[in-house]
Amino acid sequence: MNQTVVTNFEKPIGCYSPSVQELIVIDDVLSSMTGIEGRYILIKAVRGKNDDIAFLVDPSMDLALQELAKRIFPLCKSFLLISQFVESRSQFQSGLVNHAFSAALRALLLDYQAMVSQLEHQFRLGRLSLQGLWFYCQPMMRSMQALSTVIQKASVNNISGSAVLNLLQSQAKAMAGDNAVRMMLEKMTQCASSAYMSILERWVYEGIIDDPYGEFFIAEDKSLQKESLTQDYEAKYWRQRYSLKDGIPSFLENIAGTILTTGKYLNVMRECGHNVQVPPSENSKLMSFGSNHHYLECIKAAYNFASGELLNLIKEKYDLTGRLRSIKHYLLLDQGDFLVHFMDIARDELAKKPDEVSVEKLQSLLDLALRTTAAAADPFHEGLTCVVERCSLLRRLGTFNDLEVTLRNSGDNDLEEPVSITSLETFSLSYKVHWPLSIVLSRKALTKYQLLFRFLFHCKHVDRQLCGAWQVHQGVRALNTSGTAISRSSLLCRSMLKFINSLLHYLTFEVIEPNWHLMYNRLQSANSIDEVIQHHDFFLDKCLRECLLLLPELLKKVERLKSMCLQYAAATQWLISSSIELHNPEEPIDDSKGLNKAKWKSGQVLKSTTRNMAVTDSVLKFEKEFNTELQSLGSILSNNSQAEPYLSHLAQWLLGVKSEKNGL
Amino acid sequence: MPREIITLQVGQCGNQIGMEFWKQLCLEHGISKDGILEDFATQGGDRKDVFFYQADDQHYIPRALLIDLEPRVINGIQNSDYRNLYNHENIFVSDHGGGAGNNWASGYDQGQHVEEEIMDMIDREADGSDSLEGFVLCHSIAGGTGSGMGSYLLETLNDRYSKKLVQTYSVFPNQMETSDVVVQPYNSLLTLKRLTLNADCVVVLDNTALNRIAVERLHLSNPSFAQTNSLVSTVMSASTTTLRYPGYMNNDLVGLLASLIPTPRCHFLMTGYTPLTVERQANLIRKTTVLDVMRRLLQAKNIMVSSYARTKDASQAKYISILNIIQGEVDPTQVHESLQRIRERKLVNFIEWGPASIQVALSRKSPYVQTAHRVSGLMLASHTSIRHLFSKTLSQYEKLRKKQAFIDVYRKFPMFADNDLSEFDESRDIIESLVDEYKACESPDYIKWGMEDPNNMLTGEGNATGSLDSKSVA
Repeated sequence: MNQTVVTNFEKPIGCYSPSVQELIVIDDVLSSMTGIEGRYILIKAVRGKNDDIAFLVDPSMDLALQELAKRIFPLCKSFLLISQFVESRSQFQSGLVNHAFSAALRALLLDYQAMVSQLEHQFRLGRLSLQGLWFYCQPMMRSMQALSTVIQKASVNNISGSAVLNLLQSQAKAMAGDNAVRMMLEKMTQCASSAYMSILERWVYEGIIDDPYGEFFIAEDKSLQKESLTQDYEAKYWRQRYSLKDGIPSFLENIAGTILTTGKYLNVMRECGHNVQVPPSENSKLMSFGSNHHYLECIKAAYNFASGELLNLIKEKYDLTGRLRSIKHYLLLDQGDFLVHFMDIARDELAKKPDEVSVEKLQSLLDLALRTTAAAADPFHEGLTCVVERCSLLRRLGTFNDLEVTLRNSGDNDLEEPVSITSLETFSLSYKVHWPLSIVLSRKALTKYQLLFRFLFHCKHVDRQLCGAWQVHQGVRALNTSGTAISRSSLLCRSMLKFINSLLHYLTFEVIEPNWHLMYNRLQSANSIDEVIQHHDFFLDKCLRECLLLLPELLKKVERLKSMCLQYAAATQWLISSSIELHNPEEPIDDSKGLNKAKWKSGQVLKSTTRNMAVTDSVLKFEKEFNTELQSLGSILSNNSQAEPYLSHLAQWLLGVKSEKNGL
Repeated sequence: MPREIITLQVGQCGNQIGMEFWKQLCLEHGISKDGILEDFATQGGDRKDVFFYQADDQHYIPRALLIDLEPRVINGIQNSDYRNLYNHENIFVSDHGGGAGNNWASGYDQGQHVEEEIMDMIDREADGSDSLEGFVLCHSIAGGTGSGMGSYLLETLNDRYSKKLVQTYSVFPNQMETSDVVVQPYNSLLTLKRLTLNADCVVVLDNTALNRIAVERLHLSNPSFAQTNSLVSTVMSASTTTLRYPGYMNNDLVGLLASLIPTPRCHFLMTGYTPLTVERQANLIRKTTVLDVMRRLLQAKNIMVSSYARTKDASQAKYISILNIIQGEVDPTQVHESLQRIRERKLVNFIEWGPASIQVALSRKSPYVQTAHRVSGLMLASHTSIRHLFSKTLSQYEKLRKKQAFIDVYRKFPMFADNDLSEFDESRDIIESLVDEYKACESPDYIKWGMEDPNNMLTGEGNATGSLDSKSVA
């Protein structure tokens, strides 16, 4: 159209002289700057892709005046956009950051409107020209333009929370060339982030998430309760009750982990009834976010406080080290005297099948053993309980999903449970751990301790059976046993004892004790509970590996050797009694001298030739099988010792000096 | 209380050793001379109950029987600072107090006559144990009471407590001097028979070596029996630390002994201890390492058996087994490195017929006893050179026997009545076969030794030489 239809009754502005037109235009522009239509300047919302706003001018206006007026229109437009944004983001569901941002914007708009009022005042005094109006608008022009860009981006994506903060920060960086605008944007960021910093402050100082609109970058899963740590194998409570979400403010990105941990620690302490709060001070307010990075120091200080306080709580009040030492006594058997007694008094019960055994009876026998041995001095021994698993150690390891054990498909047959499995193979101990120690001594950690215990316990059982066999041999010491297999059997018993003692020595003094010392020293210098957890888990994993529990090929060899030892020990009584037949004197002799002689003569051995050969064959068979298997294990150990150097230690213990001369 | 041990102190030597032993244990466990727990002894975790029981009035009382046929030493104990420590009902001194006259036969006969009285004491002590593991006998093999009465007790314990372990700490006579006891070869031989047949383990403590150690290591110009006996008690307390301070392994006596004793009769152990100090060195704190201790334990000068040092036989003699009990502040990784060094330098000559290596037990030590050395060690070892001690005894015996010297004092007792000296002959045969067995241990083929049948009773099944057919062995 060549001309816009003017709706009012006034004449076109062109009929006035330019000087009069200027006065009219100034008045209209001032109105437009506050979103009010003038007589010759109209404001139209243009429907379309961008929902833009257009300013229409009476075409009859003097061209110079039109040009000047159009230069001011972007400012008018920015005002309208920002005002709309402020209105829409003030709704409660927009979130605290948007609320704070809107408040900051509203404050800016007030400044803007104050400026407009000033200009109006000057206009009424007759001191304002259109050129002057343009000049006075320049400073505000760029700021409003930049903010307009921000709010348009914010509106398009309907962002909230940290996204708003990140947008403001990125725009501030983009405006690096314009110092005034950059400073304004940074101030705007500070204002917008104040609400966010309040949430952050509560978290890092109290461990509480006060986040009604879900803007904070830490997620809380309230369904996870701390009591689950004693049952939940994956320790979800520790790892997932609090976690990082997407959308972290960029100025907190580098220390997001620290922030998460800080509040987590404080929360743990509150769950202990230990109401701790980072001590407030003048410098601890986080509101003063800015380029001075003061807030970073505050967060670091809060982290250090929370970390130290929690570590202190766990070490002092809950005596983590004492608990670990206690577990070492019972599950790692570093004070093994209670077990000797327990194995004696529980012998009959442990000989039963897993589904026949009475766990209650075992528990009472265990309690008795604990009360009458060195364990009585340990204040933590009440936490010990009996467990009877349902499957062998090898099968249990196969189902241990977390471990990097790959059993060959062909190996499945090896996992068939022996028909004769008893509770000696499935017995284990468990330990009651309560919050907050369950953070460190989690279900998974205790499971690993139990695996180690089961292995050690069974080795101890083999050792005691062989000691019993040794005593059977000692019992015939007074007899003349030459020509029988008893001497050979004694040496086989010795070899087996050497094997099991060397294995036990390796497991305890070469693996568990050195690794324990390392862990203990690291715990003394640990700075956080997560370090404690890390060191402890490392200790357990290293023990499992070096104790062969993650090496099924070797473990099967060891189990087979132990099985041979048990078979031999069980057969010893028969082997020995078959080798000798005591000859009772036919006539008792009364005098003391005769009694002494009879005592000696009754020791004569009557050797049954046929039975002696059977016994000899049995002993030789046991011996051959055992030595063959032991040499085989030695070979595997030597072959693997390149990748796993600790296996050479075990090889040296098991095979001793003799193998070295043979070059093994 | 499980796994208790009853200590039998027999004769003057046995009681002197025992007295020093209980002194040491009281010091280590914080028990006063009256058997009361000291105020400072609050740590707990130690097993006093293996060697002590607690009376109703909370006194700790040694599980010990003090037995002698003459009153001098026991009177000394009953007049010492420790008079209130012992259970007075566990003390036996014969009514006549005349001793055994250094005569094995007299000691044996007197033991026989008072068997019921002593066994009542032992039974009462055993009944007071919840889970008795065994007996420890302290004695000398060369005198009359320790040898003769000790021998009778060994036989009786075997009869009545056949399931229980019997360990002895046996002091062998000094062979470097003219002995006060001219008949000691007779006594030693007769005792050795019982030690061979009726004991599970004999810790051999050789007065020849003890004297040498006292002179050379402790710088005592003329050591008394009390001083050499205190060396024995040092060994006794060190060898029981794993029982009294529970650790990973060796929590009971059988576990300790079974790994050291290869065949039933080869159960004679020798010991070494380092460092040995006297009081005046107590203020010097030495930086002793595990390797220092383990290496010194292998040196002849620290070993309490004299036959170990015989140079002419050194090349043949071999270790059958070694257990080092290391006490003190030990970094466990040092142990493996020490063993590696010893292995690399071939400091140990082990048997070749079976697996062998130095076994190590790390034991805690008493928190109440200050020592000059941070680390100390005891070696318990089975070594074939022990046979030379036995050969020496046989040699001395043959000399006396040939001349019928002093046989008459033995003939006065029932075992040797009617000029029946077969007990001597049987003892000699047994000790000779023991020497042969230890000698056979030095051979790589020892494993077949015991199956040979010198009486050819396998005729028709084996070959003419009396050994099994090679096919059967293969």
